[in-house]
Amino acid sequence: MARHRYTIATDMGGTFTDLVLEDRTTGRVHIVKSPTVLDDPIRGILDTVDLAAAEIGVDRRELLAGTETFVHGTTRALNAILTGTTARTAFLTTRGHPDVLLFREGGRVDPFDFTRRYPDPLVPRALTWEVVERVGADGAVVTPLDEAALVTQLQEVVAAGGEAIAVCLLWSIANPVHELRIGELIEQHAPGIPYTLSHRLNPIVREYRRACSTVLDASLKPLMTQYLDAMTRRLSEEGLAGRLLIVTSGGGVMDSAAVAAAPVHVIGSGPAMAPIAGRDVVDRTTGHQTVLVADTGGTSYDVGVVRDGDVSSTREAWLGAPHLSHMTGLPAIDIKSVGAGGGSIAAVGAGGLLTVGPRSAGARPGPVCYGQGGTEPTVTDAAVVLGYLDPEYFLGGRVTLDVAGAERAIEEKIATPLGFTTLQAAAAIMALATEHMVRAIEDTTVAQGIDPAEAVLVAGGGAGGFNATDIASRLRCSAAVIPDTGSVLSAAGAAISDLSSDFAAACPATTQDFDFARVSAVTDGLVERARRFVASTGVATELADVRLFADARYPHQVWEVEVPLTTLRIASDADVDALADAFHKMHEKLFAISDPASDVEVVGWRVRASCRTRTTPLGQVEGGPARPRTHRTRRVYFTGHGLVDATVRAQDDIAPGEVVEGPAIVETPVTVVVVDPAATATRASTGALVLRRNGDHR
Amino acid sequence: MTLDGLQLAVLSSRMEQVVRAMANTLARTARSGVINTARDFSCCVLTGDAELVATAESLPVHVMRGPDIMAAYTARMHPDLRRGDAYLHNSPYHGNSHAADHCILVPVVDPDGTHRFTVLVKAHQADCGNGTPTTYSTSAADVYEEGALIFPAVRVQRDFTDVDDVIRMCRMRIRVPDQWWGDYLAMVGAARIGEREVERLAADVGWDALEQYAGEWFDFSEQRVAEAIAELPAGRVTLDGAHDPFPGVPGGVPVSVTVDVDPVGGRVVVDLRDNPDCQPCGLNLTESTSASSALVGVFNSLPASVPANAGSLRRVEVLLRENCVVGIPRHPASCSVATTNVADRVTNLVQRAIAELGPGVGMAEAGLVQPPAWAVISGADPRTGVPFVNQILFPGVTGGPGTPWTDGWLTFGHAGNAGMMLRDSVEIDEIHHPIRVTQQRILPDTEGAGEFRGAPGALVEYGPTTAPLTLSYGSDGAVHPARGAGGGTAGAPARQQLRRVDGSLVDLPPSGLVQLLPGETVVSESCGGGGYGAPHRRDPATVAHDVAEGWITPARAREVYAVAVVAGRIDEAETDRLRDDVQRGDR
Repeated sequence: MARHRYTIATDMGGTFTDLVLEDRTTGRVHIVKSPTVLDDPIRGILDTVDLAAAEIGVDRRELLAGTETFVHGTTRALNAILTGTTARTAFLTTRGHPDVLLFREGGRVDPFDFTRRYPDPLVPRALTWEVVERVGADGAVVTPLDEAALVTQLQEVVAAGGEAIAVCLLWSIANPVHELRIGELIEQHAPGIPYTLSHRLNPIVREYRRACSTVLDASLKPLMTQYLDAMTRRLSEEGLAGRLLIVTSGGGVMDSAAVAAAPVHVIGSGPAMAPIAGRDVVDRTTGHQTVLVADTGGTSYDVGVVRDGDVSSTREAWLGAPHLSHMTGLPAIDIKSVGAGGGSIAAVGAGGLLTVGPRSAGARPGPVCYGQGGTEPTVTDAAVVLGYLDPEYFLGGRVTLDVAGAERAIEEKIATPLGFTTLQAAAAIMALATEHMVRAIEDTTVAQGIDPAEAVLVAGGGAGGFNATDIASRLRCSAAVIPDTGSVLSAAGAAISDLSSDFAAACPATTQDFDFARVSAVTDGLVERARRFVASTGVATELADVRLFADARYPHQVWEVEVPLTTLRIASDADVDALADAFHKMHEKLFAISDPASDVEVVGWRVRASCRTRTTPLGQVEGGPARPRTHRTRRVYFTGHGLVDATVRAQDDIAPGEVVEGPAIVETPVTVVVVDPAATATRASTGALVLRRNGDHR
Repeated sequence: MTLDGLQLAVLSSRMEQVVRAMANTLARTARSGVINTARDFSCCVLTGDAELVATAESLPVHVMRGPDIMAAYTARMHPDLRRGDAYLHNSPYHGNSHAADHCILVPVVDPDGTHRFTVLVKAHQADCGNGTPTTYSTSAADVYEEGALIFPAVRVQRDFTDVDDVIRMCRMRIRVPDQWWGDYLAMVGAARIGEREVERLAADVGWDALEQYAGEWFDFSEQRVAEAIAELPAGRVTLDGAHDPFPGVPGGVPVSVTVDVDPVGGRVVVDLRDNPDCQPCGLNLTESTSASSALVGVFNSLPASVPANAGSLRRVEVLLRENCVVGIPRHPASCSVATTNVADRVTNLVQRAIAELGPGVGMAEAGLVQPPAWAVISGADPRTGVPFVNQILFPGVTGGPGTPWTDGWLTFGHAGNAGMMLRDSVEIDEIHHPIRVTQQRILPDTEGAGEFRGAPGALVEYGPTTAPLTLSYGSDGAVHPARGAGGGTAGAPARQQLRRVDGSLVDLPPSGLVQLLPGETVVSESCGGGGYGAPHRRDPATVAHDVAEGWITPARAREVYAVAVVAGRIDEAETDRLRDDVQRGDR
């Protein structure tokens, strides 16, 4: 058997573990979903491997032995943080500043809502130690490090049961001498306790964010080292000889050993990959370079954006709700999540106002139609009542849906209080869910100055096809695209992701008086580290991309804009002019204004190395169990049309290039796609469905 | 035909989205720290006839009343207003909050020339041309001494192009003009984004439908607020309080509020008329902040789901009189500090008065402002030779009030912004100004005790590194701290001191300009927030946690909360005994 035959990508979520298996000799792709095993996640992963192996008629060992790359995305780190099961971590801070983690950067939401409590700091004050030292903004030592006092403090850390140590001192990014010395003293006086130094992990200005990333990293080290070691061992025992790569929050992959050394990078592992998959499919399907990628889950709706071919990232990634939780302090793929999904509960609130979400029926009891004891109507129940779902063919026929139960719940709880018919009420639930999803996308596009009219929407997830056309048309997108990997979008993205790493340094400069020598010394160093990273991956240099970015702003602004540069060194006045020009244009694009007469300040520099792991696109998904190919119809309700006969088609029964006219329902084993009366669905050569409103052929 | 529950929900969501788009643009593009870091700004949408529709996450004291008065005034002064216009408005006598809050108003005009909506951006400027380098002139006897440039709805753009005359005036009279210019661009940009988004919304649903929505949204909101008021206990309460003595008001500023809650009629009336005339200092409130500060106190006592807009405000009346320190100021009275100090006193008294009506409603008082941790600092940066002026905002200013549901929010800011503002990063402030922050920490035992305690005060110490630094502040709450409610106790008072080069401490006045030399620092202690409910009703486990985390000392746990915490553990028998004693004492 061919040694380098398979690529496997897994995405382990709280409910399901998804797997994408690609046979690179045939180009066929197989999709598997199986419940996550929370107390032994590695067993859950091996379960999905077994399912995939069975589908192609081999056993687990044979499949793993033939696998060249095994990519793994996991919510394990985030779950550990949210459930408070990370290591007991000590925080070492500059004397006088014990409350960096407590004060945060301020902020609150909903000024008149006093029911939400102030968030606890990431490390309690009782596990915080103030180190006698101070470095100034210019890097000069203002107060020398008191080593004797520090040694006593380290003894206190050990006595207090500290399992990890986070060190974040003011201005360590300007002069790391004290943090470095503390690292040495930890190894001497608290040997074996894992620690993280802020300037090494995340050399950014703003002490709160840097401290957050440092604390999170240290607190994850014991747990993630153990998890990744166990995973590497189990997979290799089961025959895997290929490489194990872990998905990062930044939308790339890293070798598992590198992740163990800096586990903070995998907090956002998982949903980060959906935009990567969406970008790839759209690039090959319609060619659009601006893509809104949405993943509809049971309780949440996750939105990412691809802009001019680049997946958007954010500097402000939160562990929970913005301003009510903490930041990770590191750039991450910008995924906005709102509480709207298939399980979102509809209700009629005070004053007769309809609400949908954020409460969710979750997997248990689930929607009323699942017949597992749910009593509150959900978006999925609305879909059943509207005729979107075939009650006999849900999840490929594994579950029979209780249509009468869904109707009863919607009638009682929504239709009667609002004075609607049951069908009108179901349509209203779907319309309001659509509105919440549109708002989630608009929050992102507005923040980034993206015009959705130039974009296409990718609708992934089990419930993504219910309202894809409506969302796309509300946003004025030219089309909605449903990839054939739509139900496992993140795993599909993981299968094609790049090995990547960022190298950053703070080095202020201004276009008014550019210090070529100083900046070049810094950027050359970053480029050199990036090239060493490329060499370490073993990827051919022609597949590697090294790019320089400037974090720039107008004088006195405090929020920087990341500007991609066309050179790896600023060597001439022309290069400086090009930088300024690129910044003005980016500012205009993002915020509708620019100030071309103004100087531009650069705060930091970032070099990003990306190594492509493959040169060919992901293959097409192998169809599910065959369905009767006779033409069928179903009664489906559409606002403005009432109940109409909609054509029902199986997705793999539609020929490439064939146009299906609405009203129609396209079924796959795991989802349905609703084609409303004013829309068409076309099967593209990539296997994706392209939904358009009539007359829109952009 | 009326809109249904779905259409109302969708349109109100889309209108809020317009405001969010404006706010995002402003925060990301402004030049001064007070806007781009602290987010001391607000955005809103009003109808063509000047009724407040949507405010998203704006600062309450900025928007509840004022934008409506300003929009109406602008339309009256400019009968020829048209698409492409923008107006600069900061007049405290015509609906603005105070002179340092510049507002940009852009009329949204349909293709037939009908003025349908107004979008408004309000932002606190780093400088507004005052006689001294501060945007809060506590001691100014009148607007002339205050010195701010006043723009009563002055046209600043026509056909989307700046009226350069106005721009040149500003550049001659506002310190650090490039910073002001950058902020101006950001404000106009945000207003134009709002205009564009309202136009898009109208393109989708039609102008008439949008106006109809606004009317029905007001009716819905009025119904909601009436229902919420029906849940409050009935009664009429008058509470008296005072702002501390300041320059120009050696006896302080007495403030009296009367709150009348009528649950059956679904109405709340706050009467502020029984108060002194305008005072010869900058503490006078404006019509906008007098009404808004009272409204904040009322809305703090209503469920969060009640929308704050022109509809709900029909049921909450604030009675004001002319020439009153908490009323409608008469030109040329100075209102330089109208958004914070006395305004917070009004909010505090109103929410505490509602707490007096019965258990489970109202709130305690929030800590008072503005201590030197929130000073406007100025000087010349020896690293560049360039002058600077900006308000810095360090945390813990000030302790949030205990409420019937939660402990005080730690970074509450002050009553008028309710924690919505962000705080500065030490590192960012040390890059932008030649200063060093030597410490900032919460102060133990400064919280107002209660079943839900107030947030503690904070200590912030900083000073210049290499050149003299001027700071301007006006710190209330040293004499009259934040009071508790429902049996809760008062928070600790404010204090400010100067640490000399030799380490010795001297007291500083509550208000004024102070110059620090390199080696000297200012030590600022902010107020704690008042507690809500009796301290001995606080969950002992929570008290023990506060001890473990150093928020309170074991002695205070025992004496004030009647909880014995010994070596980190609760002594349950001793705690029962202590609490029994308190209850016997109560009887």
